[in-house]
Amino acid sequence: MKELMYKEFKLSMHPIAYIFLILSALLCIPNYPYYVTFFYTTLGIFFLFQGNRENRDVYYMMVLPIRKRDIVKARFYLVVCIQLAQVIACIPFAFIRGLIPLNNQVGIEANVAFFGLAFVMLGLFNLVFLTQYYKSGYKIGIPFVLSNVVIWIFIIIAETLDHIVSYMKTICESVTGENMIKQIPVLIVGILIYTAITILAYKKSADSFEKLDL
Amino acid sequence: MDVLSIQNLNKKYEKFALKNVSFNMKQGTIMGFIGRNGAGKTTTLKALLNYVHADSGAIKIFDEDFSNNEFSTKQKVGFVSGGVNYYPMKKIKTITDVTKRFYKEWDEVAYEGYLKRFHLDPEKKVSELSEGMKVKYQLALALSHHAILLIFDEPTSGLDPVSRDDLLDLFITLVEEEQVSILFSTHITSDLEKCAGYVTYIKNGEILASTDKKSFVDAYRLVKGSSEQFSEAISKKLISFKKHSDGFSGLIRTENLPITGNVEILPADLESIMIYIEKE
Repeated sequence: MKELMYKEFKLSMHPIAYIFLILSALLCIPNYPYYVTFFYTTLGIFFLFQGNRENRDVYYMMVLPIRKRDIVKARFYLVVCIQLAQVIACIPFAFIRGLIPLNNQVGIEANVAFFGLAFVMLGLFNLVFLTQYYKSGYKIGIPFVLSNVVIWIFIIIAETLDHIVSYMKTICESVTGENMIKQIPVLIVGILIYTAITILAYKKSADSFEKLDL
Repeated sequence: MDVLSIQNLNKKYEKFALKNVSFNMKQGTIMGFIGRNGAGKTTTLKALLNYVHADSGAIKIFDEDFSNNEFSTKQKVGFVSGGVNYYPMKKIKTITDVTKRFYKEWDEVAYEGYLKRFHLDPEKKVSELSEGMKVKYQLALALSHHAILLIFDEPTSGLDPVSRDDLLDLFITLVEEEQVSILFSTHITSDLEKCAGYVTYIKNGEILASTDKKSFVDAYRLVKGSSEQFSEAISKKLISFKKHSDGFSGLIRTENLPITGNVEILPADLESIMIYIEKE
């Protein structure tokens, strides 16, 4: 797996995924739907897959002495690395946003609960985009549209609940230290959901990819 | 020892099927895998490497069942596809740097040697290489991890006659010097004339013959005669025939000789055999 990860970063990684990390700074905009930052993460992953298709990555990999499942596993690791890098890159900007004494008028604040919900969003993206992609091994357009339909529905639901459910309304819409501690369960649940559905997505994708005739 | 043994390989597609494909290959030989476009050559080779899952059949490489030993077997196999052009914008040295990590037996000294021998510049991008150079680069990679079975999918198709000849000479040298075995698919019959000791012929997904080249060629004869000499009895014995302004020509199985009439019987060459077999 070490060799495969080296290959993923050296040959497969698309520079746009690094560039989109800078977009974590979007969290500094006082009024902004912060989930959009993570939409760019998904877009970077889309470009990664597009680049690999055009570079005939699969045909390079198939000759190597590796198991077909491991091709999928290495790619999942890369996707998770990109997503975690984006989350980590967002943290300092969330702190900076916290220094601005204005409430976000167009969505959730850049707080702990937001990160928890963003994890769920990324997990849903993985579940739809990656499993759909590995059904064919080359189609990326429809999987990306489908995954974005799902994540935008999730965003709308999350933002709506933010105004309806009283725990979300009072605690998750706050950036005070005291309330952010109370938001930690949302973050933990978010991480757990992200982990569970990404593992599920990997199993499904690896099974489909193994059955594929290339 | 058989380096490769395929038994009753079947794979059904909507409009095409591989039917009971079977053949063996001995160590230290060059086998040409021949057939027209769409005959099933690439599908068979892909099945050999698990790119394509066969519906049934057994593949043994180095006497080991391939499906159970894919990981270790691929350490000893080099697959070179003429048409494939992966990572065209990457430098050769970058691709090598990544690829070599996957092979336990990677030999850097040998690799440097092949670069020199094939005049490959590691600073060049894949897209800057000619078709012949691309094949040679893949060959350098395969040989540097000491692959003992080399499988080529149409390595000569995109090459000019000089590069083609050059590559075929290299095949012969490799078998002599490195004791590798080479299986290569082609539809260019002159490739086989030059270097293959064995021929496996595939037509519409079925193996028509798999034998040494001499026996394969000896199994057929060309028949030529004038228009007057052509008769129903002759045409029935022929595999297929062509009529032209000054008479006819056709192919016959040697076992079906003699043939009535004073027609000319000539030794067949691979190209004629292929043309007439495909007309059948």
